[in-house]
This record gives sequence, structure tokens and C-alpha cells, in this order.
Amino acid sequence: MGKDTLTGLKVRHAMRKQIVMLQPHDTIDCCIQYLIKYKINALLIGHDGQKPLGVVSKTDIMGAWYSGMELSTPIEMIMNAPPLFCLPEDTLDSALNTMKTNNIYRLYALNEDTNCAVGAIAYPDIVGMLYLYCSKCAQGLFNKAQKTIQQSVKRYKVFEVMTKDVESCREDDSLESVVEILSASRFGAILIADNDNYPKGVISKTDIILCYRHGLQLNIPARRIMSTPVALCHQEAPVESAIKSMILKDLHRLFVVPRKNQPVSGIISLSDAARHRSGSCHACISSRIKVDEEC
Amino acid sequence: MKTTARDIMVKEFKTLSPDAPLSQALEIFKESKSQGRTIFGIMVTNGQGSIAGMISMYDILLFLLPKHVKIWGNISDIEIEGIIERTIGKIDDLLVGDIMTPKIISIDPDMHLMMILDIMIKKHVRRLPVVFNDEAIGIVYISDLFNHLIERV
Repeated sequence: MGKDTLTGLKVRHAMRKQIVMLQPHDTIDCCIQYLIKYKINALLIGHDGQKPLGVVSKTDIMGAWYSGMELSTPIEMIMNAPPLFCLPEDTLDSALNTMKTNNIYRLYALNEDTNCAVGAIAYPDIVGMLYLYCSKCAQGLFNKAQKTIQQSVKRYKVFEVMTKDVESCREDDSLESVVEILSASRFGAILIADNDNYPKGVISKTDIILCYRHGLQLNIPARRIMSTPVALCHQEAPVESAIKSMILKDLHRLFVVPRKNQPVSGIISLSDAARHRSGSCHACISSRIKVDEEC
Repeated sequence: MKTTARDIMVKEFKTLSPDAPLSQALEIFKESKSQGRTIFGIMVTNGQGSIAGMISMYDILLFLLPKHVKIWGNISDIEIEGIIERTIGKIDDLLVGDIMTPKIISIDPDMHLMMILDIMIKKHVRRLPVVFNDEAIGIVYISDLFNHLIERV
């Protein structure tokens, strides 16, 4: 197997050090507040100074709403236990493999001496790190000093990485239907489109858990809460520019169109880019970018 | 001699309901600035006057902070126009209760000033709600505590 950009890198290079942990008796309401405030998709449950007991994600919260739970329900009732851990010294490759094998989107790094969580690693963090290396690379798309090198580099295009089967809901569909589809989806948001798949809006898992917290009902139509306009990118665009756009817009996914004013043909997420396990140009496949410790 | 929270607490303060739109909190922050005493945190109380949490400038700034800010420093050609507006636009959908800090430390009106100082230093807080019979009756600000102590030097 050839080297890719992540070969040799450790979990500690990419992990986020901010850990949010709530107590098992804290409520679902409190959990939503922390997920929104810290812009995270999941948080740990446990007692201070001890090994975390479980994880609660936005998907679990959606499930709680769907099943009619009160916001005052303790989060231990809905947590997934035990959490899966890795070590800061593990390779990113092995962390990614664990995530893929277990079909999970994040891993927590555990300090073996203290038994406490010291970091969290998720796909967007890995993409973020790849982007940093791409931006410093002489062959990087946005490296203005190296225009001549750049023109000769073959770059991954969005259509090579995107997921083609895009699920969508209609504006009149109830939030209940939206929750059903989103719960089974690996994406954090669903497209609201017309019958010809022209984009009308987006509803994210964040939007859904906010509705739950605000006391809305599951029978209201999608159009009432969907965000507009839909963040789009062209399928011929370089992956690097799509990643840049997601990073700047604080989005985890973009919907893809063949050309302006066309129906949606795909979706590209930061996770897709991370799964690709390389930077955004073919150069990374044969010669891994050198990574300095202080990066 | 002033020695307790009751002696130096501010008794007139704005409060917000957890169900108030976040934009109301922003209005109070702006208003306080124009009135010459900038406040950095607003108490959030429920209908009975008991404390539900505190909403501070920090809570709002934390929400505005881009998730991938670490990478921003390496993007040389950021088109900043529209990015701030888009982030601020997200505030319209939020209620005070969505991003307030729900778990806060409160103090008793008879707590000694040095104990208050101890809490403020150890917990890195700049304001503490004063609670009596489960009702918020005042706020002690670190600036008032500081000014009171240096007057005695």
C-alpha cells in the first residue's frame, strides 16, 4: 500500500484539546445547550476526574425528541456506552480505521495514566490539518508564489470525491420525516429540494435539536425552519477550494451542482475529504508532505 | 465598614428570561455601553426570580468564534466580506437559554468579601449573583470589589 498524506502522523497532531463533559444526571436540555454553545456534534458523559462513561451525539438527541422524551430527561438515559478511545500516540491511520470499522465519526483520546479524556478527533479536524499542509505546500492551489508549479499539478475535483446519491425532503414534509431520514444519514444536514431536485433549503441536525429545545412540534413543515440559501459548489471545482469554502463558512458539507442553476448532483462533506486520506492534489499520493512537530 | 456581599452588591440589574431572543441580550449590552457602565454579563432568571444561568459577552463571542479558526491564520486570501454577517445572522434563531452558562456559582448576601475574592480568583469569574431565599437580589462585580478594597489602602 502506498503512502498517503496521513502516514506517520499521530492523533495528537490533529486532536482538539477542548473536552466537554457533562454528568450523567444532567438533562437533555443542558446537553443541547453545550452542543450549541461549543459547536460540537457530541459530548462525553462522566464524573469529573474519572474515565468517561458514555457519549451523546446530536443524532441521539434527535432520537430522544422523536421518541417523545422530555427535555428534563437525564442524559444517561440516551448515552452510548462505553465511548471508544484511542491514545494520543496512536497513528491517525489507525484512528481513521477504528472510526471506519465502527461506523463512528469521532474518537476520544485517553491519557492512560490519569484515565481522563485529553482530546477528541473527528473527520473535520483531520481535513483541517490536511488543509494546513496543502496551504504551505509549493503545489498548493492557494500558494501564490508558485503559480508555475501549480498549473502542472493534477488536482482532485469535487465530483471525484462527492457522494452522488443525495437524499432530500420536500418543503411540505414534516420534521418527523426529516428526523427519520437525518437519523439514518451519515451527513449532518439534509437538502430540502423541489421535485426536480432544485435546492430550496437545508435542515441540519443543529436546527433539529434547537427546535426540540424551543418546544416546536414534530408535525410542522420543513419550510418553517429550513435555512436558505443552500451553500453550493460546482462539481468541476478543485476539492481544495470546496474545503476552503466549508472552513470559512463553518459548514460541514456543500451541495454540488454541475453548473449554476442546475439541480443538485451530489454532496461533498469534510468527512468525504478526510476519508480520501490525502491532500487535494495527486502529488500527495507519491510523496508525503513533510510534517514538522511544531505544525 | 463594608464586609459582606450585601454591602457592595449592585441591587439594580437587568435580567432576561431564558426564552428571550438572544437579540434582546445584545440590546442590553449595547445600551449599557451607551449609558457609560459597560456590563459584561446579564443574569438569566425564570418567572419566580430564581437564577437559570448567566449570559455573558464571552458566551456570545464563543458562539461567534469560527470552528476552524486555527486554520484561518493560514488562509492568506480570505474574502472577509459577508463572513461576519453570516455568522451574526445565526444569532437570529437563538434564544438566551440556548447559549447561556447554566451552571453558575451564586453567593449568599452575608458572604465575607474575602471569601468572594477567593471564589472570583479560583474560579476565574468576574461577577457573582447574590441569592437570598432562592431569589436573585444583587450582583457583586469584581470591579466594585477591587475599588472597595483599594479605597482602604
